[in-house]
Amino acid sequence: MKDDQLILEMNNISKSFSGVKALVDVSISCKKGSVHALVGENGAGKSTLIKILSGAQRPDKGTICFKGKNYESFSTREALSLGISVIYQELALVSEMNVVENIFLGREIRMTVGIIDSARMRQEANRLLEQMGIKINVNREVGELSVAYQQMVEISKALSRNADLIVMDEPSAILAGHELEQLFRIIQSLKDNGVTIIYISHRLEEVFRIADEVTVLKDGQHVVTRSMEGLSRAELVSAMVGRKLEEVFPQSANKAGECVLEANGISTDTILKKVNLKLHRGEIVGLAGMVGSGRTELARALFGADKLFSGEIKLMGERVEFSSPADAIRKKISLVPEDRKQQGLFTELPIKNNITLPILKKISNWFLLNRKMESALVESSKKQLSISMASEHLDVQFLSGGNQQKVVLAKWLHTKPEVIIMDEPTRGVDVGAKFEIYQLMRRLTEEGIAILMISSELPEILGLSDRILVMSEGRIVAELEHSEASEEKIIEYATMGESKAA
Amino acid sequence: MIGFTESNHLTFKKLFAAYGVYMALLILLIVASFITPDLFDEETLAVLFRQSAQLGIIAIGQTMVMLVAGLDLSVGGVIVMTSMVVAEVSNGRDELIPLSILVALILGALIGLGNGLLITKRKVPPLVATLVMLFLVQGAQQAFTRGVPSGFVPETLGIVNQSWGFLSIPLMVWFALNAVFLVLLRVTPFGRRIYAVGSNADAARLSGLSVHRIKIAVYILASCLAVISGVILTGYVGYVDRFIATGLDLDSVAAAVVGGTAFYGGKGGLLGTIAGVLIIQILSTMVVLLGLDAQTQFIIKGLVILAAVSLYGLAQKQA
Repeated sequence: MKDDQLILEMNNISKSFSGVKALVDVSISCKKGSVHALVGENGAGKSTLIKILSGAQRPDKGTICFKGKNYESFSTREALSLGISVIYQELALVSEMNVVENIFLGREIRMTVGIIDSARMRQEANRLLEQMGIKINVNREVGELSVAYQQMVEISKALSRNADLIVMDEPSAILAGHELEQLFRIIQSLKDNGVTIIYISHRLEEVFRIADEVTVLKDGQHVVTRSMEGLSRAELVSAMVGRKLEEVFPQSANKAGECVLEANGISTDTILKKVNLKLHRGEIVGLAGMVGSGRTELARALFGADKLFSGEIKLMGERVEFSSPADAIRKKISLVPEDRKQQGLFTELPIKNNITLPILKKISNWFLLNRKMESALVESSKKQLSISMASEHLDVQFLSGGNQQKVVLAKWLHTKPEVIIMDEPTRGVDVGAKFEIYQLMRRLTEEGIAILMISSELPEILGLSDRILVMSEGRIVAELEHSEASEEKIIEYATMGESKAA
Repeated sequence: MIGFTESNHLTFKKLFAAYGVYMALLILLIVASFITPDLFDEETLAVLFRQSAQLGIIAIGQTMVMLVAGLDLSVGGVIVMTSMVVAEVSNGRDELIPLSILVALILGALIGLGNGLLITKRKVPPLVATLVMLFLVQGAQQAFTRGVPSGFVPETLGIVNQSWGFLSIPLMVWFALNAVFLVLLRVTPFGRRIYAVGSNADAARLSGLSVHRIKIAVYILASCLAVISGVILTGYVGYVDRFIATGLDLDSVAAAVVGGTAFYGGKGGLLGTIAGVLIIQILSTMVVLLGLDAQTQFIIKGLVILAAVSLYGLAQKQA
């Protein structure tokens, strides 16, 4: 049977990044003309696998067999010419160029004298779009099109390269409900034309709807590959999770106090939709959800970094309006941002400059800095957080990830915050420092501070949170008490998508 | 053996990043003592220092602007504006000198404010914003004077060039301003914030700094420093000249770059710039003493900047 022919086999692929194993001995094979779903939690290794397939990264070990030929690795250019196209969430289009120019970018059809043959290119573009059943004016600038149509232009671009295998990395993340139907229709027509699709998504109902087969990855390892036939949702979820709590988390002894921070129906013009939230003194609230579900946006909105479109924020029952982070900081709110190096630290400045930046006024007499007072403060932080550093004058870039995060925490603790929002507080932090940060968080809540912790690591969310909020598509879709929460439940809510949430 | 030489190499580069510009200055002085010993005449030194002061005062502002990842090409325009305002407002009358300087400072501050607002609120790239401001200032001057500057520079203003041996008022003003701004950059909250904004504007905002306000303040300071340099230059020349500041704007950028201030902000400082200013002025003087033509001067300037930038680049990569 032609249908059962394998178009792609990736065998025993391993890849590490500076010692961290991203993929261990992963094998995956796809049948020609099928839709193969690739699922797993954040950090399971999906993107690394795709990057290897697209030629963006070389595997440390393993082989790739595509259309019957074996390869150790290939470059992105070679991957494209072999017929492998990847459509990333961030579309690779030039918004100032029109549809035709984008489809043929870098591969313009030329006449014999070398002049670009616009007429033929336009014809060809129309043919491709027609094949997918889409009507777009090909002379329009891509920037004027909706995201859904831009995505279709990307797919046509792949088709114009005669792609046999198209990888779609969370294509639905940028689409609204009705646009999704159109995408499914296009995928079906691609399938009918013998094109193979690898479909990555966090939303399980999409996987059940469109995929023929599914592969689950977890912690860089292959868990299972099987046909969708007869597979239940529960089976799939437990394959994705299936893990024990390994780390030890300091237990919460205290009861939550009065409400400090309250959000009522806040929306932003990015993704947040009418979010309600309450934070009480002395509690750690975990904010779970997939990447792109709006967790970071919620943190930024509460911190005054992004403008509110509607809704209100109350602090100790009093309505507040933050026009900038400076306002929020004055009201005793702190944000430990997700991207430490880009948003949290000044890596090329000394440790002391980083730590005392928000409180410079407090350590100045008239307008001169009191450097003795500054050193004393830095010294107290060093002790409190056990930051290991040779000297306060050292640039932050020379510290380890864990110590860098401690510097960020030290900076905020000097502002005497009442609410701390932590976005992925232990990302890129070694195990030892992780545990220290957990203990510190508990200690802070015992002093009456409220913590909102965003994390993609479910064990961390489950182990540390007194209460868990799950976000999906800009909304809070579930609130779970510590006792009733489980990885399965969180994943269930985080992946249920718009259809069920609404 | 190879390991040994390599580690030596690295140390040299690290040393260069920290003190390189002073080593370069020292080497230049040694070379000068051989090929142009006249450089060390009291009179030559006096001229050299006065010119260094004129450039150096603008370079203080330029350095701060570059520390917040900016650039100010309008300083030359501000200097010309200063000389015209001084002449127009005082019209040769000594008692109006303070008023004329005050007016120039206010106009200068407004130009700096314009630069800062364009760059922060309208998000115009600094190069474009300050170039636009330069054209606006030049245009306004031409429109106001109709091409022929009127008014006179009061003779008394010449006292700003009083000198005692190689010591002169411009040199002392440069020295004093350097002292003030060194303190400002190193031990005041404002100075810390300047480095933070230049080093990572995103993180600065999320740490509660008013990034816009800090940048605007820096551009205003840079323009006011240009006014001070303009007053000194006007007093020295004694008349109004549209070409009084030719080359000073780009030279101030060059001095900061040679002194190790990074174009991307957050790195460098005034100590380097002082040496950068001296290197540029000494080279210019040597070219004159050697009887070489002006073209040679430009070529040498270009080569020195190229050498400095590539050496800093190397030192960066190693670190």
